[in-house]
Amino acid sequence: MVTALKAFLATPAGRFVGIYALVLSLSFLVLALRPVNDQIVNPYTTLVAHEARLVLNLFGERATVSKQVLSSPRFSVAIFNGCNGLEAILIFVSGVVAFPAPWRRKVAGIVLGFLAIQVFNVVRVVSLFYVGIFRPQWFSVSHIFVWQSLVIVFSVVLWLGWVRTYALAGARR
Amino acid sequence: MPSRAPAAEMRTFLRRLPLALAGAVVLWALARPIYTRALCATAQFLARVAEVPPASAVVPQGSDALLGRTDMRADSGWLKFPLTQIHFNFVPFLALALALPHPLAGRGWRRLLAALAILAAAHSLALLFQLKFLEAFSMGPWSQANYSDLARNVYGSLRYFFDIPVTFALPLLLWIGTYPQQVFALVGLGSPVRR
Repeated sequence: MVTALKAFLATPAGRFVGIYALVLSLSFLVLALRPVNDQIVNPYTTLVAHEARLVLNLFGERATVSKQVLSSPRFSVAIFNGCNGLEAILIFVSGVVAFPAPWRRKVAGIVLGFLAIQVFNVVRVVSLFYVGIFRPQWFSVSHIFVWQSLVIVFSVVLWLGWVRTYALAGARR
Repeated sequence: MPSRAPAAEMRTFLRRLPLALAGAVVLWALARPIYTRALCATAQFLARVAEVPPASAVVPQGSDALLGRTDMRADSGWLKFPLTQIHFNFVPFLALALALPHPLAGRGWRRLLAALAILAAAHSLALLFQLKFLEAFSMGPWSQANYSDLARNVYGSLRYFFDIPVTFALPLLLWIGTYPQQVFALVGLGSPVRR
């Protein structure tokens, strides 16, 4: 078992998986620290709530934000860890960092991926808000099952897209 | 060097992904009632292994689990926990796996079953740590008397680790670890998988 694991970690795929797991574990560990949570995660989650508020108000919702709670006269939702898109960002960023590519391409991938996931997450929050208004009985399954599954798949597809169209672009030329 | 063939592999993968996602949802929905009971039984067994008296309880209730202790009043400190939060990641993992070219060919079946077993083990541990977190933090004086500060920190960390990082990252790690050849061929770092 240990020999097989060592042999796997010696392959390019194994090295990627090893580095990916390490980077991801460390980044989630850092996020769990209280000062990081208070100074970075909570303000970031509030920013996500404000982004969703802007979109909702385009649809005439008259939404407001108080800390991490997004409210309108028709519905209210609190955005917690796991719903703020940071997990998707970490999955993507760790994949980018672990992949053997030039650092300039990694930095560009991280910036573009971050923006793409932001947009995706705002769509998630806004759609969940409307599910809460029109089909509240579907909220839980939409929130936990549908959107969290889609977030994981989206992060992976985004990473695959980055690798194929950008990270390996230099090697292709 | 990436070859041109992986671009075709990638297109095929992206075309198959929505279908694979739908298939994974159906499989998950069919397996969920039995899996929920098995998951609760496993977590309860693990919680009681080193417990005297064995009183930790994980009781399946629809798609939720009731977490608590049988040596306490029925209305004290029991938590209703949505199990979907723990095992939904079967769906993205299965979808990613089934969207690959020939995921079950050769030893693919065995590798897929091994990956699902790892995922199931992670689910059992996630549920176990939810229970231990509840016992360590939310049962008032009983928690204070039976769990040290160190134990509370350990169970709090383990609960967080299995609740978010493991839940979200394991599907991707298992996907790459189970099908390294296919995934690396897909991104252009290996030979395309033979049809």
